[in-house]
Amino acid sequence: MTDRAAFLDRIRSEMARARGVGGAAQRGELAPRPARPREIAETLRRELAERWRETLEKFRVEFERVAGVYHGVASVDDVPDVIGAIARERDSRRAIAWHPAALGVDWRSALSTHGLTTVAMPAAGVESAVERQALRDLIAAADIGVTGVDLAVAETGSLVLRSGSGRPRSTSLLPPYHVAVFDRHALVESLAQAGIFLEAWHEVSSEGREDASGRGGVINFITGPSRTADIELTLTRGVHGPKEVHAIFVEGGLGG
Amino acid sequence: MTELTTPFRQRAAAALDDAFLRQALTIATTKFIDLRREAFDEFPEGEALRDRARAIKEATLQRLDHYLGQLIDNIERRGGHVHYADTAADARRIILDIARRTGARLAVKSKSMATEEIELNEALLEAGVTPVETDLGEYIIQLAHEKPSHIIAPAIHKTKGQVAELFAKELKREVAADPEELTRIARVELRDKFLAADLGITGANFAVADTGTVVLVTNEGNGRMVTSLPRVHVAVMGVEKVIPSMSDLVVFLAILAKSATGQKLSSYTTLVQGPRRAGELEGAEEFHLVLLDNGRVKQIGGTLREALACLRCGACLNVCPVYRQIGGHAYGYTYPGPIGILLTAMLHGGEAVTDLAHASSLCGACLDACPVRIDIPRMLIELRNENVEHEVAPRGERLVFRLFARLLTRPRLFRLAASLGRLAQRPFTRGGAIRGLPGLFGEWTRTRDLPPVARQTFTERWASLEREA
Repeated sequence: MTDRAAFLDRIRSEMARARGVGGAAQRGELAPRPARPREIAETLRRELAERWRETLEKFRVEFERVAGVYHGVASVDDVPDVIGAIARERDSRRAIAWHPAALGVDWRSALSTHGLTTVAMPAAGVESAVERQALRDLIAAADIGVTGVDLAVAETGSLVLRSGSGRPRSTSLLPPYHVAVFDRHALVESLAQAGIFLEAWHEVSSEGREDASGRGGVINFITGPSRTADIELTLTRGVHGPKEVHAIFVEGGLGG
Repeated sequence: MTELTTPFRQRAAAALDDAFLRQALTIATTKFIDLRREAFDEFPEGEALRDRARAIKEATLQRLDHYLGQLIDNIERRGGHVHYADTAADARRIILDIARRTGARLAVKSKSMATEEIELNEALLEAGVTPVETDLGEYIIQLAHEKPSHIIAPAIHKTKGQVAELFAKELKREVAADPEELTRIARVELRDKFLAADLGITGANFAVADTGTVVLVTNEGNGRMVTSLPRVHVAVMGVEKVIPSMSDLVVFLAILAKSATGQKLSSYTTLVQGPRRAGELEGAEEFHLVLLDNGRVKQIGGTLREALACLRCGACLNVCPVYRQIGGHAYGYTYPGPIGILLTAMLHGGEAVTDLAHASSLCGACLDACPVRIDIPRMLIELRNENVEHEVAPRGERLVFRLFARLLTRPRLFRLAASLGRLAQRPFTRGGAIRGLPGLFGEWTRTRDLPPVARQTFTERWASLEREA
């Protein structure tokens, strides 16, 4: 079987042959990259915080266009009422949530007054495979998955979620209803701005510090509920992932 | 490679006789065209981004060894494994080895043209591993033992009634012919498979060299399931899919879904970076990337170089007057449509497309629709030229064209031929066109009309006008 050296050597020899070939004369140019993405991302966040209302309105419009359900509340204490109402209308009893440290707030007892049993995901790694399996079964059996949001992209109505400790990937995937809670700090206007944050997050990891921040191996851009049009192009929601995605905006901000 | 038993002409003719197929194709492709147009209409920066995306592809290709090296380093730094497959057989062997070593019995797959290309499912079955396609369209055609007929909508050739019958037969479930209900059943069936599978197999829409990230774009969420739940994740990717950075990635994301389905983004864009990290609850314990050549590398310096920029969005299929009539299966290979002809030539050599290279009117609609502006018609003509050089046409046809070329380059002879032609065409000219020529020439007029030589040719007219002046 070919190894790395032989594989790349062959590519190099074809590249040498390529000069002058039709199409090779095309202009080649990469997208401009921020030199210090973390700094630029921080500056951008401050700028965006000043005009968050317009960004939020644009996000709401686009999020609703992709069949997301938008809710706005004044304070973190209002969030359990919204989740409680969602649960009641859908006859849901079981919820799972990111760890309070990852969400920035603990709603478990408030949600229980709405008849919703909420299990928070563990803050740190679970070494035992048996325990991991048990937690996965719990997520798979839940009706509602409550998560935070790392970025809310106005241009596309997307929620960007990073996996990691206390924030399992399947919280926003296995339960039929996904409820994401965010505040103005998550808002960005465009995919291009989201790109700066993607660069910034990886700048951290290239310095080997990402494990300290507890971030995982996956970043998801979630743009509306799971959907398909594979049978006669009829749009159907909730194929494998959630049927409904709710985004709750907290004007007063989330803690943490 | 699966042997094709019927020639393209017969496959195309069979497709043309299938009234349902043609209706389904018209509805589907028209809808895709409208959705794409609407998406770009409200996105004025789209045109410039298409140029930028193409420039990124080109710049990457100019330093492909460098970016692949970077990608490999970064994946290995994360504890992932990279494998090198020169051929489809190599790729199958690599994946079967992984399956065997990890004791995998059940594999869940998210939609991947690369794994269709290497005919992985058949190989897995033979090795005792059950592959389950989890994209709804792919699941349907897997149950029906068929091949995808469209790059992004594999089952557009099936009615809901046919799907209901299929589910009844294969899943032993009585079910109404209602897309919503059929989807619900597939959700239940496949949920169990996701949770039970040992092995998750995906393709890759992109791989970001700078971070060692594999990017999957899906609407159903199956890509997320397949990369999060099984113990082992194997991604199969053509070498041309690597891009340098996250800044480049967002350029492609801005145009890919718009070109494919008219969405601003697909429901899920999933960035996977290696195996499960410490502190994570889920994710594969083992992550493998299979880098696939299978004819691609040869084209870096070949006539099909531009086709290496393809994003597999399917936009060129929808606008192609040939695809719209005959659908994907008639092409006979993994990749249908205009880009599919080029990819077939890339994978199987120019001899595989001696007929297919002509399954195009060269109208240029594909070039207009392509998000990265691949000049498909130019390369189709190149393939036809290669056909000529390899003398694949029948001897008679070659002779006729050689004589014709001689005529065209000798004005006096050409004028003489025009006047002779005017006489000779008389018995065959009806309603302003030459029809039903005898013998070898009949091959031409069998499927198309030939415009007759004009009463007065352009050169004759020019000469008389000059005299008048």
